[in-house]
Amino acid sequence: MLKVEHLTKIYPKSDRVAVNDISFELRPGEIFGFLGQNGAGKSTTIKCLTGILPFDSGTIEICGYDIVKDPIKAKMNMGYVPDNHSVYEKLTGREYVNFVADLYNVPTELRRERIKRFAELFKLEAAMDRQIAGYSHGMKQKICIMAALIHEPKLWVLDEPMMGLDPQSTAEIIAHMREHCAKGNTVFFSSHNLDLVKKLCHRVAIVNNGQLVDLFDLAGNEANKANLEEKFFRITGTYERRLFEDYASQESEDMRPDLPSHEGDASESGDKPSEE
Amino acid sequence: MKSDISITRVKTLFKLDLKSRFGTTHKRGVKYRISQCMNALFFLAIYAVLILGMYYLAKIFVERSQMRLEFLTLISFATMIIAAVISTGTIVKNLYQNGDNEMLLRFPVSGKEILLAKSIYCFLHNIIVCFLLMFPIYVTFGAVTNAPAGDYFAYIGIILLSSLVTFAVGNILAVPAVKLINIFKNKFVVVLILTIIIVCGVFVAYLLALSHILTYLRDSRQGIFSADMIIRYKAFLNGAYPFKWYAELVSGRRLGTLNAGGLALRFLYIFLMTAALSVAAYFITSRAYYKTILYGIASGKSTVSRKVKDKQMPVVQTLLTKEFYLILRSFNYSFEYLAMACAAPIMVFFCNRLAATMGTDSVGAAIMPGITIMVIIIFITVTVSFASTCISREGNCFYMTKVMPVSFKVQILTKFILYSVVATISVLLTCLVTGIFYTTDAGDKALSAVDMAAIWGISEILVISLTSLSMAVDIKWPTFNVSGDGELVSANKNVAIMLVVGFFFAIAFGAVVMVTNFIPLQVGDTLLSSQGNLGNIYLILTAVSLILLAGSLSALFVKLDKRYNKIMW
Repeated sequence: MLKVEHLTKIYPKSDRVAVNDISFELRPGEIFGFLGQNGAGKSTTIKCLTGILPFDSGTIEICGYDIVKDPIKAKMNMGYVPDNHSVYEKLTGREYVNFVADLYNVPTELRRERIKRFAELFKLEAAMDRQIAGYSHGMKQKICIMAALIHEPKLWVLDEPMMGLDPQSTAEIIAHMREHCAKGNTVFFSSHNLDLVKKLCHRVAIVNNGQLVDLFDLAGNEANKANLEEKFFRITGTYERRLFEDYASQESEDMRPDLPSHEGDASESGDKPSEE
Repeated sequence: MKSDISITRVKTLFKLDLKSRFGTTHKRGVKYRISQCMNALFFLAIYAVLILGMYYLAKIFVERSQMRLEFLTLISFATMIIAAVISTGTIVKNLYQNGDNEMLLRFPVSGKEILLAKSIYCFLHNIIVCFLLMFPIYVTFGAVTNAPAGDYFAYIGIILLSSLVTFAVGNILAVPAVKLINIFKNKFVVVLILTIIIVCGVFVAYLLALSHILTYLRDSRQGIFSADMIIRYKAFLNGAYPFKWYAELVSGRRLGTLNAGGLALRFLYIFLMTAALSVAAYFITSRAYYKTILYGIASGKSTVSRKVKDKQMPVVQTLLTKEFYLILRSFNYSFEYLAMACAAPIMVFFCNRLAATMGTDSVGAAIMPGITIMVIIIFITVTVSFASTCISREGNCFYMTKVMPVSFKVQILTKFILYSVVATISVLLTCLVTGIFYTTDAGDKALSAVDMAAIWGISEILVISLTSLSMAVDIKWPTFNVSGDGELVSANKNVAIMLVVGFFFAIAFGAVVMVTNFIPLQVGDTLLSSQGNLGNIYLILTAVSLILLAGSLSALFVKLDKRYNKIMW
């Protein structure tokens, strides 16, 4: 579904190798997590494989089509949700989704059904005919996701998809990811949410300083699942026993501090706003 | 009564405002400083030209027409209206529309403190505007009338008094102005039509006034300074209160129209009027401000609603529609492109008529074809330069152009078609309007049908050439410097480059046609041109335009994929 071989990217006027000889392959029907710290090379890799950035060496194939040699066919099989959810804000939600549907040649009947279904799913029915400029952060993210799915892509690429979404929408997107993969499609997404990756992904890759350091199964491998956080901390060079133990304990225990006890008359102390 | 305004907080807010406008944490390079100096020089040059114009106007009023007090009244009238309009705009922008209102309200500061801090900025801004606007004109008047030194101090005093009134009027007008803006905010077509009418109106009024002044300079018996007109001016300006009070306060005594008692009375009138307007401004602003900004914040996200059907469109059509909506639904873009393209035929016609009057009077009617082609190419350049931000305007959505399964050639071709079609229609209408007038008796048959057909043909070729060149320039050097609403922060250097290129062709083509219509051009035994016979010259210019067309189309489309791919986002 997606085959990346020896991908290398160096930004112009920079000595640093942003992506250094990365190779991996995604199988049909899997959800693949792409992990790494900020600046590790996740977004650069995603931008290369979506055709946004040219790269220096290596090859990228989407559904058998080379992104450099056959970009139109490769892009036709892909849907992309950017991390900054930028969309043409002067258009209405419906105009934007229809615009994207036209680019992917989605027939009228099919798009009608999908727009209706997605609008209901993401609770955007009332906002579809309003200009996107008036949308909230989460609504923009949802319209991006709708547009990326309007042609039912075989490969769905998401860069930090859950940021700024309400729990209901996050749950809907997770459900949709699973549904999408159940049809034999593939989901590739980057995230900082280790807990979500652990629960959702079949496989995961961890990048650090532009290099793919580890790639392993999570589905059916309880040991990898249990050790995902530790692996991530060790690979990204942020492992420190005390901090890791704190993190692990925070994951399993309640972290809210105890409320101060209010003995005596509440009206005298607790309920009064501070004068300062 | 205990005041809830803290001077310290007001000072802090005011300083914050100044820092956000003028402060910088970056060390500016030499390039930046040079560009700042060039901007300052350009501003000074324009300012000097305006002052020179004012000097001649003062001479006409004072020396030729003996209308000293009337001139001062006219100064007060014109400058105070301009200052009030600028003040209203500044107040609307800073007090009611500035995006920091929402942020400031989160701080532990009151609405009154925000209002006061911003009002201080607006007030100081207004004083500077009034000085820049009025002081040179008063000084010019003083120089022309040999005013004593004391009068110059009076000018400063009168400017300060004028700035108080204009600030108060600005505050009063700002509230209904904001309400009007909110009503028309999402009515894009209405705003576009109004913009076209205003642009044409202001431009035509300016050129007509300039034309009358030129007529007067040629012949004082005609034009806006004829004896009949002067009587009318006097009648109007003598009743132009309260502006006449300011004029009398400045020079009433010296000009012998006012005694000491009269002077005191005029001062009292102005003082009372200023006080009344200031009190009204205070009450209106203090009552409306908080409500208006809260409404602005609440309705800031109110946007256009439009129902469309979910229907498939061909790729090129959908790209064209998207591009058109992005331009139409932005006030800045629709003004820069659609309004300019629609207004061009009228602007060219009047500009051409004025240039033709001046040129014909000084060197003869043979100058007409040259002037016409020059003026048309100048306006083409202004309209087409919009295409030099075709990639930059994508801003944060540029990634879409890389991700969509549509070749870069088709995407660029679509933009090219949109810009070319609009500019081509604009040029066609421009040539029709100009041609109908100048090839008939109405325009003294100053142009032949051949002239007009050739000018139209060359202009259309240049439209396509300059459009493709503009787009090629932006593909080479895009700048994705966009504001919060996704629009370009300001015109980038590509626009400047294209203006220079376009103006070069305008001057070069215009000069060639002008010169060859006066001086016969002979190569060997062949006479290439003579007066009224420019066929060969037009052919040469057409050939040059075609070469430019081939070059610019190559610059845009050859190896487009490779160049487009290189654009970093």
